[in-house]
Amino acid sequence: MSPFTPALKNSNESDVSRSAEIVRNALGSQVEPIGIVLGSGLGTFAGEIQGSKSIPYSDIPGFPVSGVKGHSGKFVGGRLAGKDVIVMQGRAHFYEGFPMRQIAFPIRTMRKLGVKKLLLTNAAGAVNLNFSKGDLMLITDHINFSFHNPLIGENDDTIGVRFPDGSRVYDQKLNELAEKVAQKSGIKTQKGVYMFMPGPVYETPAEIRMARVLGADAVGMSTFPEALAAMHCGMQTMGISYISNMGAGINPGKLDHEEVLRMDESVYDSIRSLLAGIVAEL
Amino acid sequence: MIAVRQAISEALAVIRSGYAQSPEIGLILGSGLGSLADELKPLHGIAYSSIPHFPKSTVAGHKGMLCLGKLQGADVVAMQGRFHYYEGYSMQEITFPVRVMRELGVKTLIITNACGGINPDLYPGALMLIKDHLNLMGGNPLIGPNDDSIGPRFPDMSAAYDQDLIKLAETIAVESGIELKSGVHSAVSGPYYCSRAELRMIRTMGADTVGMSTIPETIVAVHCGMRVLGISCVTDMAIPEQLHGISHEEVVSVAEKTRPKFEKLVRGIVGRLG
Repeated sequence: MSPFTPALKNSNESDVSRSAEIVRNALGSQVEPIGIVLGSGLGTFAGEIQGSKSIPYSDIPGFPVSGVKGHSGKFVGGRLAGKDVIVMQGRAHFYEGFPMRQIAFPIRTMRKLGVKKLLLTNAAGAVNLNFSKGDLMLITDHINFSFHNPLIGENDDTIGVRFPDGSRVYDQKLNELAEKVAQKSGIKTQKGVYMFMPGPVYETPAEIRMARVLGADAVGMSTFPEALAAMHCGMQTMGISYISNMGAGINPGKLDHEEVLRMDESVYDSIRSLLAGIVAEL
Repeated sequence: MIAVRQAISEALAVIRSGYAQSPEIGLILGSGLGSLADELKPLHGIAYSSIPHFPKSTVAGHKGMLCLGKLQGADVVAMQGRFHYYEGYSMQEITFPVRVMRELGVKTLIITNACGGINPDLYPGALMLIKDHLNLMGGNPLIGPNDDSIGPRFPDMSAAYDQDLIKLAETIAVESGIELKSGVHSAVSGPYYCSRAELRMIRTMGADTVGMSTIPETIVAVHCGMRVLGISCVTDMAIPEQLHGISHEEVVSVAEKTRPKFEKLVRGIVGRLG
């Protein structure tokens, strides 16, 4: 008998393969589909997918099922801008109580489905005072301020290495491509460092000031676990934050989730054009 | 679930069954630094796998052996290989061997590691005495019920690394002609190497080095009343503006090249303590 809790097991190749098979059966075979994860308030983007088929996360073993408003919880497969895509409409968050390794599981499943390029989106609060509500920020780097991550635990070397290089998570070429697409479509973009906070509390004004001192441009409660898992299993990743609000204390007034979900149509149009434009160029 | 105190007794009984001495000096040897334990005479080695409640190390470069014997005339117990939080064990579990060493009689613990250098005065192959630390691991081993017979509920961490041991190490270094830096060691959970933005943050916070170990062991050692000396072996530079990808193999290879001066330093310290 041991006084300790058993060591963390991470998802292994066979769990991932089994779930990928179920998703493939539901969505049909795709050739190197581009993966897209839709953040809060962006779920309607799944409507842009042509010939779409879907499977709810609750039908896939090992998948975390999010209960957060604005996240519906299914994989949607189909075509966008002439390319095969697989879209996560809704995601699970650390603050919902899911272990990090479970948040990584859908990403590993996508890798098994042939996804080599992953576009992550999220709603984030601005830390950088030069940003405005409605801005789109291309993520150049991240700070994990939760101090947890999905790679803690036994490592399956067939998925990725034990000590992956965290300095190359966001693909520079994808970011350059995104900038080019944005320029062509007349969409203004920012670039910056995304700080991952565990949530679910929004940051205090003091925490926003701290985040600025520590080098963050925006804060949010997602994306980091998925981006790290994607890097670990060898995907090229890019992240787009849409600034849904200024961080606490920057402007007077309170923050609420409704504000985060309420996206101006013009902002939605910009993200839609940017995502479709990037997919078209890949 | 059994109490940690009982688990310590069970582990101790197995170690004691083949070894009668009470070493007062403990060594935890980090990645690529394990070979010093081979110098113990007569060497009494016990595989971690045969000690009750010890986890087993899964990392290349970590042997997984508790070594007992004499070094420079002093009885020592050395951990050849350690446990890491990123392996999925709890903070309590990775520090369990420290508690066992305390029961074995250890009063002075020398904790070593391989780490990344953030301060530009450091270089691959540099040795740094740990003067203080920054715990960025996301947990610590004292969270949970406290056994007051082991240590206090609220241990003082204002001088976690013993001043006299630091002075002794500095003296030995001067005598042996070894360059020795000193600074603040930070630890993250790993297993991934930090991003540039994370390294900039850690530098802003005041760290000179960053690693994935040592701090949990220091906390437990201080909690149960040991004197701690921390030695970091810088195996790569972690300066965000000059980062190139590193591999675990590189880390182990630089640690191995640094080993002769590291071993000379530790031998000298143990000799003076014994």
